[in-house]
Amino acid sequence: MTVSTAPPPPAAPPAPPETRRQRRRRERLVARDSEIPVELYGLPRGTITLLTVLAFLFALFTLIPIAWILINSTKTQANIFETFGFWFASPFQFFHTFGLLFQNVDGYGTFIQWFGNTALYAVLGGGGATVLAAFAGYGLARFRFRGSQMTFYAIIGALLVPITALTVPLYLSYAKAHLINSIWGMVLPSMISPIGVYLMRTYADISVPRELIDAARIDGAGELRIFLRVALPLMVPGVLTVLLINVVAVWNNYFLPLLIFNVNTKYPLTVGLGLWSNRAVNSGNANLYPMLVVGGLVTIVPLIALFLILQRYWRGGMLLGSIAN
Amino acid sequence: MRSSWVHRRDRRGVWFVAPFLLGFLLFMVVPLGYAIYTSLYTSRIIGGTVFTGASNYTQTLGSGLFWSGVVRVIVFAAIQIPVMLAIAFFFACVFDLGVAKFGTAFRTIFFIPFAVPAVVGAVMWSFLLEPQFGPFTRLASVLGFPNTNFFSPNLLLASIIVIVIWEWTGYNMMILYTALKSVPRDVVEAAILDDTPLWKIIVRIKLPLVRPAVVMLVFLNTIGALQLFTEPQILEYFEQGAVSVNYTPSYYIYQTAIAADETNLAAAMAVILAVIIVVISALSLIVRRRRGEFA
Amino acid sequence: MSAIALADLTKVYATGVTAVDRLTLDVADGEFVVLVGPSGCGKTTALRMVAGLEPVTSGTVSIGGQVVNDVSPRRRDLAMVFQNYALYPHLTVYDNIGFALENAGVPKAERDRRIRAAAASIGLSDLLRRKPRQLSGGQRQRVAMGRAIVRDPAVFLMDEPLSNLDAKLRVWMRAEVLRVHKSIGAATLYVTHDQVEAMTMGDRIAVLNAGVLQQYGPPQELYARPVNLFVARFIGSPEMNLYEAAFDESGALVLGSQRISLGQAPSPPVIGERGAAPGQPVIVGVRPEDLALCPVGTPGALAADVAAVERLGSEVHAYFSIDARPAGHPADGGVPSAGTVVPADEADALPGAARGGVARLDPRAAVRPGARVTLRLDPARLYFFDPATGLATGWPASQATPAPALPSAPALPSGAN
Repeated sequence: MTVSTAPPPPAAPPAPPETRRQRRRRERLVARDSEIPVELYGLPRGTITLLTVLAFLFALFTLIPIAWILINSTKTQANIFETFGFWFASPFQFFHTFGLLFQNVDGYGTFIQWFGNTALYAVLGGGGATVLAAFAGYGLARFRFRGSQMTFYAIIGALLVPITALTVPLYLSYAKAHLINSIWGMVLPSMISPIGVYLMRTYADISVPRELIDAARIDGAGELRIFLRVALPLMVPGVLTVLLINVVAVWNNYFLPLLIFNVNTKYPLTVGLGLWSNRAVNSGNANLYPMLVVGGLVTIVPLIALFLILQRYWRGGMLLGSIAN
Repeated sequence: MRSSWVHRRDRRGVWFVAPFLLGFLLFMVVPLGYAIYTSLYTSRIIGGTVFTGASNYTQTLGSGLFWSGVVRVIVFAAIQIPVMLAIAFFFACVFDLGVAKFGTAFRTIFFIPFAVPAVVGAVMWSFLLEPQFGPFTRLASVLGFPNTNFFSPNLLLASIIVIVIWEWTGYNMMILYTALKSVPRDVVEAAILDDTPLWKIIVRIKLPLVRPAVVMLVFLNTIGALQLFTEPQILEYFEQGAVSVNYTPSYYIYQTAIAADETNLAAAMAVILAVIIVVISALSLIVRRRRGEFA
Repeated sequence: MSAIALADLTKVYATGVTAVDRLTLDVADGEFVVLVGPSGCGKTTALRMVAGLEPVTSGTVSIGGQVVNDVSPRRRDLAMVFQNYALYPHLTVYDNIGFALENAGVPKAERDRRIRAAAASIGLSDLLRRKPRQLSGGQRQRVAMGRAIVRDPAVFLMDEPLSNLDAKLRVWMRAEVLRVHKSIGAATLYVTHDQVEAMTMGDRIAVLNAGVLQQYGPPQELYARPVNLFVARFIGSPEMNLYEAAFDESGALVLGSQRISLGQAPSPPVIGERGAAPGQPVIVGVRPEDLALCPVGTPGALAADVAAVERLGSEVHAYFSIDARPAGHPADGGVPSAGTVVPADEADALPGAARGGVARLDPRAAVRPGARVTLRLDPARLYFFDPATGLATGWPASQATPAPALPSAPALPSGAN
């Protein structure tokens, strides 16, 4: 029979504040505590090294184009094609080319304007899509009106329809309604995101308990109020994910703006860069290729930075959890 | 019989869905309807726009150019999707089990291409694969394959496959990784206590549990692959003549509508393409469901 | 040589939390040992270290006399039943049970024989073709047991296997688990938070609190001779009544404003090296089942005010209060030593809630809320504790096996080790 008789231990002296490395090390150890220890899998020695090497190779594959565009954004057109692709060459021309992005070179359009356009479309379109999806997702998840299930299936079914089948006639109708080159012609269709509705509905289903809504109703709140004050705060991670997806989708959209814009002042970055790709081959202007490279770099840097910063909060789980249901 | 108050309250839900539905009708249903409508007509220089019924459809359905494009994207999808999913699943497993070092860093790197628009991705790879000056062309030369043209008819589709795999593997891997993480830990521990080898844990226990995610990914990837457009177009800009006008159905539709200004024909082609895609995607769902019965 | 032996087993997490602190105990061949304690006391962590699923920080785990710290759980010849059953969701019951045999390469015919035998022993023969999602909770639990039984292991580990079942089913399954244990004969380490399960099932019980082993022994020993306040409160339901008290010069017990002569009392309980001096604070404990109504004026009787009465049909629970200070709860300002209780639910108690005593009385007892009654304190059934350390200093004099904790519990297994 064992008995614990030890007197309470003396209070430990306060620990010195952690350095960043110590904290990360501790976080890594805590994370490892919550995973199954690798030794239990019974793998032969060297497997971990082999797999790390394979992952490294694929990482290399992933980063090669990024490295290329970083390095070659500093080169002249001749150097882009003639010097070794993965090392620098003089003259260092990055800032010169970068400056050209602010000008309309040879009438082929102003990069910075495209950047502003893209940002505008992405914010308006992506933001609007998220708002509409949040409302619709909540409505479908928490209200059982007649036809709600059918409506949901119809919305999902829309995913099956190829963009060409939708965009070409959209272009035709714009042409008839003189909506070509209209900003709203780009933004409004971008606000319709079936996958956003699907994700929001699933997320609302998971994260907003019906009892909470009923309790708020009994407390006399109106439906809109309930949505804004009770449900929406619970749906925040899902809303952020859908926002991210939609903003990225509009930022990257190529086909729609390609069809409905024919003045390059309205182009987003995707169409503008496509235009430069088209013209650079035939144009005598020795700046177009470097501008294409630098422009490409400037296009991807903000999004990559955004992803790197947000990767802590990225709710891949939500995206996936909805799929698994 | 539910109380009328519940009915009335539930009907208020319609207001939440209404804004989306309005846009949905305007920008998805109406265009589709308009496409069908337009496809039944033909605009002629002489005689204006005339109702021609199914003639645009018969023309498309009988067009060898159209069908070769369809076959091409099906072949493309049949190669690209399994290869990409295999790579994505492989790494998703590796990172989920923690059997490689620096998992978090690798996962972040793999996901970066998702932040790159397809246009820019295609531009970067066009430079890399450029038949005369591209680094990979030179590398091939060094390795004993001089005069490799990545945009030649033999290699063009392969090149596009590589580009698309580069763009999408990370995203698919993330989805599969998250799915794998949701497998209950104690089920895996029970398998370990039962002395299950790792391959069996993955194939007999984890894979069946992530099947819904795999099905969804096959579905989404198929729809995307059949609509291949951006990469061929950018490659065509870089290497004119490499991509035929009918290379993919979407590309052919675009050329027909814009370059050739035959919008009615393009509309018919778009409708046919929509039907083909719906059929194939639905098939991919059913096939997966059947083949998914492991053990 | 014991089937399982833990020596100074310790687990410290990367967060700095010590989940298990130098746990030492042994399980003999064929013995059924229960690890019990409140949530978070480290019992599951200890079990998982025995299984090999949790890395050991220090100390050793031995199975069959051999130290197995570095042996993979695959090779330890043990089977485990998980709290949430951990069945393979996409396999049939048949395949679930036979999975380990399949991995070991057992030929199909023999595998089939063993699976069917194991299934028959727990009544699953008709369910072999079903998948887990088609089974009820109790059926799933039995599949989890079948999966462990079929392996015929040297050691059985069970992690709260009955916690997710509803109350009636749990009572029935307790007997089932014991029956299976008897027929297999393997040493079993069983984790639960329910002291009733511990008392009714264990050959020996190990009580844990905050990672520290409090007491390890057969059930009747824990009931009759708890070594500290924690064990005294944890074992037995309703909980033992504990009060601050002292002895006066004449050896009578001073409880609040009352003096209770203990008659032919046992010698005053020992505190430290000397006997308890008159006036020195002690903690006295009396179990609800050891209180009985008696006429006013009976020597050694306690006057109490009844606050509430619960009539269970088979007995009556009378909640009473006296003007003595309840003891043994850290919330009362007592020094939290190793022996003092720190149960999680105390944090939820409303501040200032009166902690009354409970008496389990004969069902015909005539008590009413608001009445004043006299309860007889049997001096031979009192427990004494040292307020400073929480350790027991005096036990009921009676050596006989005490009444079981609940009227309906089966007889306790006989014979301590």
